[in-house]
Amino acid sequence: MALEMNGSVEIPAPRAAVWAALNSIDTLKACIPGCEELEQVSGSELKALVVAKIGPVKAKFKGTVILSDLMPPESYRISGEGEGGVAGFAKGGAQVRLTETDSGTKLDYTAEAQIGGKLAQLGQRLVAGAAKKMADTFFQNFAVAVGGETVQGP
Amino acid sequence: MFAFTYQRPEALSDAVGALAADGEAKLLAGGQTLLPTLKQRLAQPSALVDLSRIPGLVGITRTAEGLAIGAMTRHVEVASSPVVREVIPALADLAGGIGDVAVRNRGTLGGSLANDDPTADYPAAVLALNAIVVTDRREIPAGDYFRGLFETALEEGEIITRVDFPQVECAAYMKFRNPASRYAMAGVFVAKTAAEVRVAVTGAGQSGVFLWTEAGEALTSDFSPQVLDTLTPDPDELMSDLHGSAAYRAQLVKVMAQRAVEKAAR
Repeated sequence: MALEMNGSVEIPAPRAAVWAALNSIDTLKACIPGCEELEQVSGSELKALVVAKIGPVKAKFKGTVILSDLMPPESYRISGEGEGGVAGFAKGGAQVRLTETDSGTKLDYTAEAQIGGKLAQLGQRLVAGAAKKMADTFFQNFAVAVGGETVQGP
Repeated sequence: MFAFTYQRPEALSDAVGALAADGEAKLLAGGQTLLPTLKQRLAQPSALVDLSRIPGLVGITRTAEGLAIGAMTRHVEVASSPVVREVIPALADLAGGIGDVAVRNRGTLGGSLANDDPTADYPAAVLALNAIVVTDRREIPAGDYFRGLFETALEEGEIITRVDFPQVECAAYMKFRNPASRYAMAGVFVAKTAAEVRVAVTGAGQSGVFLWTEAGEALTSDFSPQVLDTLTPDPDELMSDLHGSAAYRAQLVKVMAQRAVEKAAR
């Protein structure tokens, strides 16, 4: 089943700093909910291990994360797909756009996710809510990580 | 199922210890969500710590404020308890309508609250009645307990021991079931005290159970179904899936709330 989500967050940091964070493996790792490993394989390809926990369900997804359509410092696309063994598979992506504002940077995202296998069959009634929560959590974590850094910075 | 070890401690402290010693261990209450999940191999805990032999977790007691119900008390016991029927009849009604007979015979109050499924029934009662969730280490007011989809204020390894429900002037719970799964597509618990009316909604919100404060305020000034005629919860905050759109759920919530007010006022 496929899902679409979108939203925006205000980040009190200059656009260049937000862009840098969007490309920082350490920041991404800290912000992706349940991300246990994130390593660079090549320039724009990353290897990830994510533990998805939704209520009683706990599944480990191994897969790749790819950054593409890079238009610094304005926009890029982050996408990923993973295998969760018996639980099924998940793939998704988000188009991210940064706009300069008076107070910092506005980040808009349009994300889509696709989930298949047993997780989708059984979790039918919960998948939409859970996917939206994952996306919201990621961008909120990100806003805090980046906004927080600038406040502490010199 | 994947293999796991099974433990059945006979003291609460042993259960707390077992969880502290093994981060991948899970508590087993009634098992009505956990066991189907394990059978589908959608979780792989290292151990199950069964709470059924721990004394003091089962039972319904009349207190000065209302009711104290043990966390391992099964839905069927709440549904058929004369004490619950006398003190908070809406709670007995709610318990009698959870899932099916098999679920009511095994499922527990504490299990339902710890899982915090966004369509579970008990969270609506706990939130509307402003109950207190008591654990092995503290007391958590309902307003602080529910934190979103399957998320609660419980810490790692924290165990619910009982829930204190205050008595209210009147209350009622009405829900619209999904006919296949019997989960609530919209469940509304209305509770009236001398000071205020609280309206809690389950099954419909994107982040689980929530208080519909606008309706509560309107009902506080006039406790009649008609005051809700012009009110509808914001569909942007509601779930939308193949069973129903957010706008449809908003209408369901309104109608269930009106029916609950009507029933409570009788």
